[in-house]
Amino acid sequence: MPEGDDWAAGWQRLQQEVGREFDERPVTFSADRVEAGAIRRYLEPLEFDCPLHYDRDVAIAHGYAHIVVPTSALPTFAMAPMWRPGEVLFGSDDRDAQPTSTPITGILTGLEPATSGYFATNYDVEYFDSAVVGDRLARHGAKLVACEPKETKVGRGAFLTWQSQIVNERLDVVARLQTTFFRYKPR
Amino acid sequence: MANEQRFWDDVQQGQDIAPLAFPLTVYRLVMAAGANRDFNAIHHNPEVARASGASDIYANTLLLQGMWERAARGFIGLAGVIRRQSGFRMRSFSVPGETVVVKGRVQRKWRDGDLGFVELAMWSENRSGVSVGPGSIVATLPLRRRL
Repeated sequence: MPEGDDWAAGWQRLQQEVGREFDERPVTFSADRVEAGAIRRYLEPLEFDCPLHYDRDVAIAHGYAHIVVPTSALPTFAMAPMWRPGEVLFGSDDRDAQPTSTPITGILTGLEPATSGYFATNYDVEYFDSAVVGDRLARHGAKLVACEPKETKVGRGAFLTWQSQIVNERLDVVARLQTTFFRYKPR
Repeated sequence: MANEQRFWDDVQQGQDIAPLAFPLTVYRLVMAAGANRDFNAIHHNPEVARASGASDIYANTLLLQGMWERAARGFIGLAGVIRRQSGFRMRSFSVPGETVVVKGRVQRKWRDGDLGFVELAMWSENRSGVSVGPGSIVATLPLRRRL
C-alpha cells in the first residue's frame, strides 16, 4: 500500500471495478442441511426464546414447514465449512496462528492492497422467503457495490460493500444482502 | 417471549419497543462465535483484537444483528414476519465489561392489500452512546380483520 498521503491510491484499482460481479463460481451449497440443534445453539448466546426457532409444532401452526432459521442466522447457515476432509488447517502451534483457510475472510479479489485487518460493519438485507430445518442454503454472488477508502481510528483502509444472495436448493432467493467490510492496515 | 400476539391495527406510530439489555462477557462472545460460526480472532482473542486496533475482543455483527432480531421479534410476535433490515451499521466496538441495550420505536405503519407493515427504527447503545445503527426493521403483522 502506498504510504503517506497516497495511501488511498492503492484502492483505485478496486474502485474502478465498482459494479463488477466477482463471483463466477457455480452455486455451492453449505456442507450441511439446516439442523434443529444448530439453530438451538444459535439462540443460546442471544437467550432468544422464540418457539418458531425451536418448536416444530409452533412453527407449523404459524405456516412454516418446520423449525425456522432466524433471519439473522441465514449467513451462518449458508456459510462454507471451516474444514473439508483432507485439508490441514492448523500447521503451527504458534499461540495466535490462524487457520490456513477460513470462509469468513470476506471477499478478496487480488486487486486490493495488502491489509491484515478486517471486520464487517454494515448489513442491509431484504428477506424474500424463510429457511427451515432440512433446507440447504448457498450464498452466491459478489457484486462490488462500493469501495470507499477511509482512515479510521483503527487504521487506513477501505469500506467495501458487496451484494450477494442466499438461495435454497430450489434456487429461490431467500435473502439479498449488502454487506460492508472495513479492510485495513492497523496502526 | 410473551405469547400474546400483537396486531397491526393496534400498533401506534411512535410506540417504543421494549428495550433489551445484553451484558457482554468473554464467555458470551465465545459462545456466540461458536454458535454463529464467525471465528474471526478479533471476536475471541484479546491479543489479536488489540493488534487490530480494538481495545478488546468485540461482538461480531451476527450477534449484534441477532440482538435486533430478538428485540423486533418480541414486538411483532410469532405471526409477524421480518421483511427487511436496513441501516445496520456498527459504529463502535461492543466489548466485554459493558452492556449493549437494543432500543426501537415504531417509525411508520402502512397497509398494502391484506398485509400490514410496520417500520421499526432500531439502534443499539453501549457506554459510548449509539453503537449500532440507527437503522430499521420492516415487518408485517397480522390484521385483526381483513378489509
